[in-house]
Amino acid sequence: MQQRVNSPNGLNSEMFDGYDASRTFDEAFESSGMARGTYQRIIERFAGLDAVEHQRLESLVADEFRRQGITFTVYSEDAGTERIWPMDLFPRLVAAAEWDELARGLSQRVAALNCFLADFYGGECEAIADGIVPRWLVVSSSGFERNAVGISVPHRAHCNIAGIDVVRGADGCYRVLEDNLRNPSGISYVVENRAALAKVCTWLFDDHAVQPTEQYGQMLRSTLESMAPSGRDSPHIVLLTPGIYNSAYFEHAFLARAMGVELVEGRDLVVDDHTVYSRTIEGLVRVDVIYRRIDDDFLDPVSFRPDSALGVPGLLGALRAGSVTVCNALGNGVVDDKGVYPYVPELIRYYLNAEPIIDNVPTFMMWDADQRAEALGRLNELVAKPVGASGGSGVLIGPHASQQELHAARTAIEAEPREWIVQELVQLSTLPAFVDDRFEARHLDLRPFVLTGEKTEVFPGGLTRVAMQRGSMIVNSSQGGGSKDTWVLAREAL
Amino acid sequence: MILARHADALFWAGRYLERAETISRCLSYAVNSITGLRADEARAESELLVKTLGLQEELQALGPLDSRPQLVAFLLSDRENPGSLLSAIVAVRENLRSVRDRIPIELWEEANSLYLRFPFLGHENTPNDLHEVLLMVRRACLAISGVMNEGTRQDEGHAFVVVGRMLERSIFTVGLLEASFSDPRGAVDAGRMLRLTSSLQAYHRQRGDSADFLSVVHYLLHADDLPRSVVSCLVRTENCLIGLAARAQALDLARRKTALLRAHVEFGELSAAVAEAPVAALSGFASELADVASDVQIGVAAPATVTAPRLQFLRPGPFGG
Repeated sequence: MQQRVNSPNGLNSEMFDGYDASRTFDEAFESSGMARGTYQRIIERFAGLDAVEHQRLESLVADEFRRQGITFTVYSEDAGTERIWPMDLFPRLVAAAEWDELARGLSQRVAALNCFLADFYGGECEAIADGIVPRWLVVSSSGFERNAVGISVPHRAHCNIAGIDVVRGADGCYRVLEDNLRNPSGISYVVENRAALAKVCTWLFDDHAVQPTEQYGQMLRSTLESMAPSGRDSPHIVLLTPGIYNSAYFEHAFLARAMGVELVEGRDLVVDDHTVYSRTIEGLVRVDVIYRRIDDDFLDPVSFRPDSALGVPGLLGALRAGSVTVCNALGNGVVDDKGVYPYVPELIRYYLNAEPIIDNVPTFMMWDADQRAEALGRLNELVAKPVGASGGSGVLIGPHASQQELHAARTAIEAEPREWIVQELVQLSTLPAFVDDRFEARHLDLRPFVLTGEKTEVFPGGLTRVAMQRGSMIVNSSQGGGSKDTWVLAREAL
Repeated sequence: MILARHADALFWAGRYLERAETISRCLSYAVNSITGLRADEARAESELLVKTLGLQEELQALGPLDSRPQLVAFLLSDRENPGSLLSAIVAVRENLRSVRDRIPIELWEEANSLYLRFPFLGHENTPNDLHEVLLMVRRACLAISGVMNEGTRQDEGHAFVVVGRMLERSIFTVGLLEASFSDPRGAVDAGRMLRLTSSLQAYHRQRGDSADFLSVVHYLLHADDLPRSVVSCLVRTENCLIGLAARAQALDLARRKTALLRAHVEFGELSAAVAEAPVAALSGFASELADVASDVQIGVAAPATVTAPRLQFLRPGPFGG
């Protein structure tokens, strides 16, 4: 039975009429239907609107995004179809103390992963030697890059830009769902969501002090500058994009502009004598740091995929010579592999001698016979994920799957257990999202971004993605998901 | 310092922007002028316009233009026609999109808005509000030009846009003169040339008399205060190339050729050649302008592959035929 939400402070409650906060942890409302303290004023603000006004504001935001071309591409549709970035106006709020704890946990996790990558590619593989992670698992990962072994990385910071997907379950605790240490995307939408909301709903910000987001470009630039090869004091940084038809091209252009660096394609760079240069009208100009938004396989056709026209021939040689730094480093895919994910808490204990601040979602490793038997026995209650997939593709959500789908998944897991993990189903937390003419509870996740160079910084906020279908936990924008502005509230003045 | 690819994209953005404005202006004029004409007259006028725009080859694939809707479809929204308004607008957007990180947000927004407002992508029918659409395109092109001139740094990137626009503009003006001289009907209309170059008002203010064909030709070649005259375009092109060639030696060939062409116009050699054999002289001059455009592209790409650009022997072009 649905619990009705109380009309906050006697304001017009039609906007929240029938809001069901009881299915899982709702970030804005207690299960009794009372607004949580952090959200009280925001709810009042939205309750004061009517549906027509809300729709008008939504269309203003959509117009803003359309005019600026803030889009993403869905490859499965007509080639090159650009969709307007979807944003729900009701923001996600994170209290300062809550954020501090989350940020500490994220820093800790990325620090441990960087230790592992440095140990594995540039060290003595101590974690493997000490039995923390099985060698066969790491070297069988599709993200393992043999060519990355021995390449020195400044500050041993292999992962300079990490996007860690976190969720809150029914108990309200944050847990890490996925680590993205190759080319995490979404930060541009974080900044643009804020800019659009501040433009269209300025009044929303009257009651809160919110940490700003527009400083990301400078934070990223400082991080990349700190990654320059030694002796390069004013490094020439470029951002390497696959080009205008890439799904994340908007973000690439956004970041290049925000940092004040050139947005280059592979054909703009050339390697001569193990040094990378950009082709300018005045001649070749040495490049020191490449923030690449191209996967490993496409970076250098000489060393990787020979059919790739996206990369730079000879780049690997320049990397080995130490004349250029590529961020994120080559081979980070081993820790993106969901097969390595279950070992991260142990890696934190091993390298940092500390307990993980943020837990993993309980995970069954399918290559372990006992765990496999247990998971397959109740697959209809669990979530099965291919270890190498991203964007929600190939994920089987047990309770929503047909018998046929469950059978197919069992067969696939039995055939290639290394390729699968199975996790407990997390009932993702919910937040109000505007659907048709009122707010309804919708599931969401959060992707905060962690920058690591000489030092580690967690960008305040992150990309909140929301599943716009009732009951759905698929938050990916390519599958109909939306987004929200994420507000990290500033600390109260003492 | 500008990437070679960015320079190339900005050069082409300038060319296509100019082309979009030119096509919309020509189409506005043509739709009015052929209304009420006999079928054979309308066809001749349409073909003259197509020739002016240098689209004869594209038209050959389509066949003769027998009706106004056919002309509109061909010039407005034919995806197969690289010289259509649609193709030009798409190309402006794509080129600016590829340099989105280095141009002002307002400039990108204007170009993107023009693309989004162009209302009949994929349709071949004449829209009922054709004149409104064409007016919208011209205004948008002016807005984009305004942001380019007033809202951007006057750096190398801006210089490449100007070079692209001015070369495209001069090629059109020369093409218009050539097409007018070669009109088989023999009824060359000086007013038409002035309207297609938005120069009617300026001409009458300066000359104050009725438009005589040869004086209009002279005006469109020599008027140094007319933005669409050939000499104005070449002076602006040369000024930009002087700055660019000082930084990129490979562009010096284009600068020198431009200077030579400008001198030929200023010192009357082109006019003399036109008086003798107008079509051949103008056709030769148009080829020289196209060569300069190619040299700009070659100059942009050169530093990555050639450390010391090879300079060609320069000589006057075969204006006289």
